[in-house]
Amino acid sequence: MALKQISLAALLALGVHSGALAQSLDDLKNDKNTPGDILTYGMGYDLTRHSALKQINTDTVKNLRPVWTYSLADTRGQESFPLVHDGVMYVTTHNSTVALDALTGKQIWKQVIEYPAETPRVACCGIVNRGAAIFNGKIYRTTLDAYVIALDAKTGKEVWRTNSIDFKTGYSMTVAPIIADGVLITGISGGEYGIRGYIEGYDPENGKRLWRTYTVPAPGEPGSETWKDGGDAWKRGGGPTWLTGSYDPDLNTVYWGTGNAASWNAGLRPGDNLYTSSILALEPKTGKIKWHYQTSPNDPFDHDGTNELILTELDGKKVVMQASRNGFFYVLDRTNGTLIAANKFVDNVNWANKIDMGTGRPDVTEITTKARSGEEVVYWPSAFGGKNWSPMAYNPDMKIAFANTLNIGMKYKAVEPQYRPGVFYFGAEFAWEWPKGARGSLRAIDPMTGKMKWQAESDIPRMAAVLSTAGGLVFTGTQTGEFEAFNSENGSKVWEYNTGSGIVGQPVTWEKDGKQYVTILSGSGAVYVLFSGDERLAKTPAGGSVWTFALGD
Amino acid sequence: MIRLIVGFMLGLALLTAPALASDAKLKKATGLYKLFCAHCHGLNMVNPGTSSFDLRKWPKEKKDEFYTVVKKGKRNMPAWGDVVTPEELDLLWFYVVTRAGKKPFPEAAAKSAPAPEPVTTMEPGKLTACVARNGGVMSGARHNGGTGLDYGVVEALAEALNLELEVTWFESEQEEESDPVKETYAMLAHGLCDIVPGFALYASALSGLEGQRGALPRWDDQPDHLPLGFQVDLKPVAASAPYARMEMGIVVSGPDVPAFKSLADLDGRKVGVEQGTLAGVLTLRQGTQAMVAQAQTFNPGPAFLWKMENGAFDAALVTVAAFDFHKRQNPISKLRLSDYRHPLGFNLGIALLKNNAPLAKGVDEALKAMLSSGKVRKIAEGYKMHYAEPKAPYVQTRLTLKDILTIR
Repeated sequence: MALKQISLAALLALGVHSGALAQSLDDLKNDKNTPGDILTYGMGYDLTRHSALKQINTDTVKNLRPVWTYSLADTRGQESFPLVHDGVMYVTTHNSTVALDALTGKQIWKQVIEYPAETPRVACCGIVNRGAAIFNGKIYRTTLDAYVIALDAKTGKEVWRTNSIDFKTGYSMTVAPIIADGVLITGISGGEYGIRGYIEGYDPENGKRLWRTYTVPAPGEPGSETWKDGGDAWKRGGGPTWLTGSYDPDLNTVYWGTGNAASWNAGLRPGDNLYTSSILALEPKTGKIKWHYQTSPNDPFDHDGTNELILTELDGKKVVMQASRNGFFYVLDRTNGTLIAANKFVDNVNWANKIDMGTGRPDVTEITTKARSGEEVVYWPSAFGGKNWSPMAYNPDMKIAFANTLNIGMKYKAVEPQYRPGVFYFGAEFAWEWPKGARGSLRAIDPMTGKMKWQAESDIPRMAAVLSTAGGLVFTGTQTGEFEAFNSENGSKVWEYNTGSGIVGQPVTWEKDGKQYVTILSGSGAVYVLFSGDERLAKTPAGGSVWTFALGD
Repeated sequence: MIRLIVGFMLGLALLTAPALASDAKLKKATGLYKLFCAHCHGLNMVNPGTSSFDLRKWPKEKKDEFYTVVKKGKRNMPAWGDVVTPEELDLLWFYVVTRAGKKPFPEAAAKSAPAPEPVTTMEPGKLTACVARNGGVMSGARHNGGTGLDYGVVEALAEALNLELEVTWFESEQEEESDPVKETYAMLAHGLCDIVPGFALYASALSGLEGQRGALPRWDDQPDHLPLGFQVDLKPVAASAPYARMEMGIVVSGPDVPAFKSLADLDGRKVGVEQGTLAGVLTLRQGTQAMVAQAQTFNPGPAFLWKMENGAFDAALVTVAAFDFHKRQNPISKLRLSDYRHPLGFNLGIALLKNNAPLAKGVDEALKAMLSSGKVRKIAEGYKMHYAEPKAPYVQTRLTLKDILTIR
């Protein structure tokens, strides 16, 4: 048995496997329909995280058990999205990229990433990496010190490396890139460091930067009229782009969420502050903005709308949808950005009453006006958001989204920020406001109404991504380490397994030789563990590992 | 030179200086903790201690190691190098060792300071002085060394103390809102130098500023990561014995130089007023009605005396140092300084951190010796300056409106 595994690994390493490394653009487009591979972040360009596989289902899930586990030898939070191609799994951490035999978990190669020891200074919310992209025999990823790199998928050898920007000025990269229309597209982090956000396109062959689209316009550019401070607020205006966008090949459009304006002190940057906290539709070859929709104009609350943008069809319309940090679930016509629905998907939202369907703008409450004028307020949802980074899943058959939502408020007061490159540029004093009950819940949400079909609460909120399957299941994980499966119809928990460290990763499912597998990274850390001060997690050790499960006999 | 003018103005500004709250240490420390530490160690220094260290477990006696780890990093902790300033590091230590302000500052933590023996200078064997590179006749940077009374005094001082002189040249801002006293405090607090010469000896400049923040001026070798006007927390500052006196005198277009007795004697002349300076205020307050009615006001700065040179007016009260600087720039000047000195003036001393008593003592003794031996006067004359010896009271309490109206 062991011999067989090693020889397979060796074969893969040598690239003898025929056609092992030919991922074309068509392969990427079809990823959704080829459950043997996972070639795109989010399990398909539409980011639905929904699989047609149903060998593991509500009846059989009780027999789900680990097949292998692999140590990532790292104590940071593990948020990486695993890719699977032709029997090889690719996983990233902040300081390494690994290729594993997908059936055995044996390491094929490991490429360590060196970055300067001071880099973590500029990572606000965890030293993480969210995954890689694969195309034409290469693995692409970003690094904490803001490099975009390409590795040979066979050997892990670095093919090229391009610096996006100097990390010392507050920029970092944790985003998983995508390939769209032959262009490698990346985002940037640093919304709390007074950066000027952007999205970039690179030539996947040689790492040449093809374009950079700033999410905050310079004076004179379209959108600059929404920065009315008359000074240079735009230079440090924020608008990070730290979560991966979706792609519609038919419309040849990339959809990318942008983050909060900086500093948080909105009174210092009057105007809507485009294109912060917005949904952008971009042309992949040029980075040109086709349309935009802003979720939180002149945002004082770190309602960092980078959240994933799921593509689907509703009532015959091509839509893009987002459960935003700001607590509203948005559905837009993705051909032109027209608002179709926007409803609260969490219970406590006090910064806005509703979204005006005519203007598409939030009808803000006194809380927001007070916050902008420097008064102390308690607002919901907090900077953690109604949902944080953790991507939701969408079951197109049920027309239901499954999201790990949060119920946390924030005491807040805007203050004058002092800009120092590479140091927090909050412009606010703040403290968490904890609810009486659970801090989070996994919710089945109707995108058109925001109403929940069911919820599974958790005192310590779940910060993991969600996976939906045609087997009637929803997979996610807890920060105390349980990998969980729920019945997608009623939310009852049908299975769980303790992975030994907290889960903040992204579950995926795939098949090989007629067998369905589920993979999740375990490894406590990242924003909630670091920032919240939740001591209940002291008993959940750090330590990254990859777990793969399948049905036992 | 502007620096001196502003020094005069400060006397006025301090008339209304509010009383200061000094009990903001914890608040400041908390703010800094949130800026530098909270995103890994928890918002209130509470975290599970799994993916990052639980700071509540940091041993209170391990101060040195704390400083080292913050600066150089350790395992998951990034190196903060000099992004965190020394005074910020002190406050972070205060925050951590008081367990986010919940516990008293322990004796042990205070005692285990990295250098328990009394500090004399920042670098052993060296005396570092912050000197303005554009201080007019008082100081200026040269290719090799410097020039001016302030520079000459610190040079002689280092020699007397048997230390090697190192100068941190800074840019004295030419803006009215810049505050030379706060700049001096900021430079000392930031550890840019041991001493700052040219410090106006007002009692109000020697107390009450600690606990405030002040902007650093621009200086040579300023690291890129510190933006312009970076604010630092000020620390208590002390001043040495005085070494010179700043005075104001009447300048006239030559060649005749009358023996003036007061500003009123300018009656009948075309008088220029340097706007926003004490000299200007005195001219307007103490001149005759007819003279004030005729007087013309001009912007302050070196251009003022050039206007006079070009005939815009023919008499003015200015600082003696301003005249000396003009004379140096224009040796064939037709302007003449009369012997008249306005009775208002102040003494110059050397500023240093209050907690450095041994250095203060050394500087004081050396300055007194230099003063009584005539060394300081010699330095001034070497730079072709009019020198005035300090006058009692060495430290002026404050300038009042009454002084401006009545002291003439």
